[in-house]
Amino acid sequence: MMQKIISPGEQLFEKPLDLEGTFVDDGRTYASVMGLVRDDRFVPLKGHYLPVPGDYVVGIVIVEKFSGYIVELHSPYEGNFSNRETREAFAVGDVISAKVAEVNEVHAATLVEPRKFSGGTILEVDYVKVPRIIGKNGSMLAMIRDFTGCDLFIGKNGRIYLRGGNTTLASMAIMKIDAEAHTPGLTDRMREFLEAATGKKASPESSV
Amino acid sequence: MTEKKLLGDDGKRLSGRSDVDLRPLSMSVGILKQANGSAMVEWGKNKVIAAVYGPREVFPKHQTNPHKARISFRYVMAPFCSMEEHGRAGPNRRSIEISKVLKHVFENLVLVNQFPKTSVDISTEVIQSDGGTRVAALTAASLALVDAGIPMRDLVSPVSVGKIEGRIVVDLDKDEDNFGSSDMPVGFSHRTGEIVLWQMDGMLTRDELAKGLDMAFEASKKVRELQLEALKAKYGTAEQAETG
Repeated sequence: MMQKIISPGEQLFEKPLDLEGTFVDDGRTYASVMGLVRDDRFVPLKGHYLPVPGDYVVGIVIVEKFSGYIVELHSPYEGNFSNRETREAFAVGDVISAKVAEVNEVHAATLVEPRKFSGGTILEVDYVKVPRIIGKNGSMLAMIRDFTGCDLFIGKNGRIYLRGGNTTLASMAIMKIDAEAHTPGLTDRMREFLEAATGKKASPESSV
Repeated sequence: MTEKKLLGDDGKRLSGRSDVDLRPLSMSVGILKQANGSAMVEWGKNKVIAAVYGPREVFPKHQTNPHKARISFRYVMAPFCSMEEHGRAGPNRRSIEISKVLKHVFENLVLVNQFPKTSVDISTEVIQSDGGTRVAALTAASLALVDAGIPMRDLVSPVSVGKIEGRIVVDLDKDEDNFGSSDMPVGFSHRTGEIVLWQMDGMLTRDELAKGLDMAFEASKKVRELQLEALKAKYGTAEQAETG
């Protein structure tokens, strides 16, 4: 598999393509951030989350208004939801999960389905690493759940909620993935790491 | 102005360099924990630290632009950065001007339309100075921006050229700057070959200017190479990554 590390300004493709972390100039596609190019895909190594309709995110309530709440989204932009969306009352500082319903032209998100989390901890990673934490068909996530017995909710914005089980080990595993997200053989190394930490063997179904 | 001999009998400069040699140059990326992106550049005796924060909320709020991100740039010299007196810490008339000029460089390179209503705050601090600190600050700032994941059209690769004892030379140090007859910092975007910074102190003839610009362009290629090397030193482990 041919793969190359790319820095901003390097040409990726001769044709104009609309990809994340790229821009088009004079009919050609160039990288705008550090990333990896593989065949006709570009994987950014760094990024800033912009809310996209349909995403499930983990947010923190930062303002309580008469008609709703403003939510911090681990992003340059904030979200808000109306108190029509819920019968529950929220307070500043509450950690919630929500779905992005709508985004306006300056990236402010309208959220729906707010759910309050109680107990547990949160962890923040760069949102471009989220696919690696989930793994192919959720394999990596299933493995972490298996070994740690921890209940995880992964927001597309790179904020992760953990509760129950061995949250310390699960956090360590996620930080390890965050640090080594684009190195070869990550799934195998994570399995070894978790096996060594827990003394358990991976069950066959968790190693898809 | 006091006279000072800037060329040796062997035709070389006081630092032992030829006309087109750069001073020893080293760069490191990601040196600060708190910033979104950071870099340090050691360019001869210059030492500059750059930190980038953002995109984040704009302060003061009235500077918010609903169409694009605001770039703020801070260039300051530490009071202890050289043998000369630098007065109180913080910006002065000279550094406010340099901050403004360098801000415009990044306004043209950062994809500001992608982050409306936000601010990208670039801060550079000259810890030690020996001539050519603005090009060192620009080099560090562009690395820090990449490290922060701010989308840009290209890196800036700057270098200064100037005239000493009638000769056009690259990368002036402090003595050559102070006692030479002209100093011209230039910044290039090598993707397109565009000039993104161009200033001049003193006088040059048209021919000298054209020659200086050519020499700066060649020298800045070396700066760019080192910038890419520094970035790969941090992100290079991703080289043989598997499919995600």
